[in-house]
Amino acid sequence: MGVGHNQDDAFSMATLDLTTKLGRLTLPNPILVASGTFGYAREMERIVDLGRLGGILPKTITWEPRAGNRPSRTVETSAGLLNAIGLDNDGIELFLEHHLPYLSKLPTKVIVSIAGRDEAEFARLAERLDGLPGIAALELNVSCPNVARGVDFGTDPAKCEAVVRLVTRQCSLPVFAKLTPNVSRIAEIAQAAEAGGADGLSVINTVLGMAVDWRRRAPMLANVVGGLSGPAIKPVALRCVYEVSRAVSIPVIGIGGITNVDDVMEFFVAGASAVQIGTANYFDPLVSMKMLDALPGCLSEAGVETISEIVGTLGTAL
Amino acid sequence: MTSEGICYADNACHQAVEIVRHEEVGRSTRLLAVRCPEIAKRILPGQFVMLRPHGIYDPLIGRPLALFDVWYEGGEPAGIEVVYLVKGKLTSWLAEQAIGQTVEIWGPLGNGFDPQPTDHLVLVAGGIGQTPFLAVAKERLGIATFGLPNRNASNVSRITLCYGARTADYHAGVDRFQEVGIDVQLATDDGTAGHHGLVTTLLEKVLAGEPKAPRTQILTCGPERMMEAVAGVAAEFDLPCQVSLETPMACGIGICFTCVAAIATKDGWDYRRTCIEGPVFNAVDVVWDTTK
Repeated sequence: MGVGHNQDDAFSMATLDLTTKLGRLTLPNPILVASGTFGYAREMERIVDLGRLGGILPKTITWEPRAGNRPSRTVETSAGLLNAIGLDNDGIELFLEHHLPYLSKLPTKVIVSIAGRDEAEFARLAERLDGLPGIAALELNVSCPNVARGVDFGTDPAKCEAVVRLVTRQCSLPVFAKLTPNVSRIAEIAQAAEAGGADGLSVINTVLGMAVDWRRRAPMLANVVGGLSGPAIKPVALRCVYEVSRAVSIPVIGIGGITNVDDVMEFFVAGASAVQIGTANYFDPLVSMKMLDALPGCLSEAGVETISEIVGTLGTAL
Repeated sequence: MTSEGICYADNACHQAVEIVRHEEVGRSTRLLAVRCPEIAKRILPGQFVMLRPHGIYDPLIGRPLALFDVWYEGGEPAGIEVVYLVKGKLTSWLAEQAIGQTVEIWGPLGNGFDPQPTDHLVLVAGGIGQTPFLAVAKERLGIATFGLPNRNASNVSRITLCYGARTADYHAGVDRFQEVGIDVQLATDDGTAGHHGLVTTLLEKVLAGEPKAPRTQILTCGPERMMEAVAGVAAEFDLPCQVSLETPMACGIGICFTCVAAIATKDGWDYRRTCIEGPVFNAVDVVWDTTK
């Protein structure tokens, strides 16, 4: 867009090291954009400087094309957005033919989000993507609330461990599991994913919710229930990141209502090594650039020179 | 969902802008003018902007608003006008905002109407669907030009607006349409103004009263069921028709997949994003009922 992104942070950018290591995956900085909130990146190429992002997660792909749920697909709630898109996507073959050639040329890391209907389909997707140029890692969407049975892998520790194990055995790429908050003990699911061999965890996907039009006695979403995102869920996400990061030794990527650079810093302190920006892209398309502009100043204010020095520092005495 | 026909937000600006006019123009209907020269000089009739509060997170999500008109200062485009119905959370919040206050907008977005030359252009609006048509009328009659570079789309001889509303006081901006010299024909559900009944019946009367014009085109915007009916009338009279869909949106730039509409493909239909592949579609391509 016609607004300059680049502030005079060249000096601080040069002196502060924003490099982010997530197991086998190294990113230029910790600001990523979340799957399902950034299209296939091409939509944003004239709006943000894609090369400045730490990483991009295109919209989740499935084996078969999916039309997704019928409208209405989203509804605004208090400081939040409820969605039931239903994994509308072109399927892996069109992704490889049409979207990957574009994505693989971008000067940033691309983490491909995949969702299978069963373990074997997750494995098939991973196998198909393994070794292709331009893919830095995979994120397993074991937590989409808007597809039938989609959430099973994210709520049952044994199933979660099994699917992660199968994928990590069949593919050489770093693998991240995206967890749902819609469980009693998210740390148990996180430990299961770690046991399965995950390189890291993306925490959290949307929070199950619904909205009702009482005058029409009707749900606001055609799918009746959906996933809540946006600032409304940030406290839930922070709690999950905190619990998960203390329960596992693999890195955690924080997601959930992150809207400004203070939110980013809060997630680092709570235990996230990187963050993904989601719903904020919808209402502030330049938000990721603003965060990158402001991050060095926040790190300086915190008295640190690298991201890792601030990660998980909650409760440490100043 | 390949890239053909996709209108990415290549030309868009995201800005915090000042409200310079804000007034009631019909029942629960308000006109808002903001200062945004960058958007004003680029925007085309039928394109839209997203608007949201500046600096607060509730209301959170932007709303799409069609260009009503561009306003000028010293002969240069200085800002845009939009007209909205006070209906939900964002519009109720917006209605309270005073001149001098700031809102965020991004745009121009979407494709706009395709300005095909024609003898008689018939605009069919229902509810708040009249809003894109003032700029259309001004451009096509050669009263104003839009876009960067300015495009010349002065290519119709006359324009009729068929404008339906529930009751007379919902008709908003009628004087502005009359000022540009088009034939404004009103309809109301309760007979308080103009034709008593559906705007589609009024449209049929207008078309039936015409000599069989070789070149008549229809543009329509309004509630989906009305547009479906207008598309039916267009088909019956064998006239080209463009529809501007009013699907709810969350981002306006193609990243959220909220605003999909069923559009015909060679082997059936597929959901397309109305923000970047629309909001204007050829009526014959819209699949109004996917259960058929």
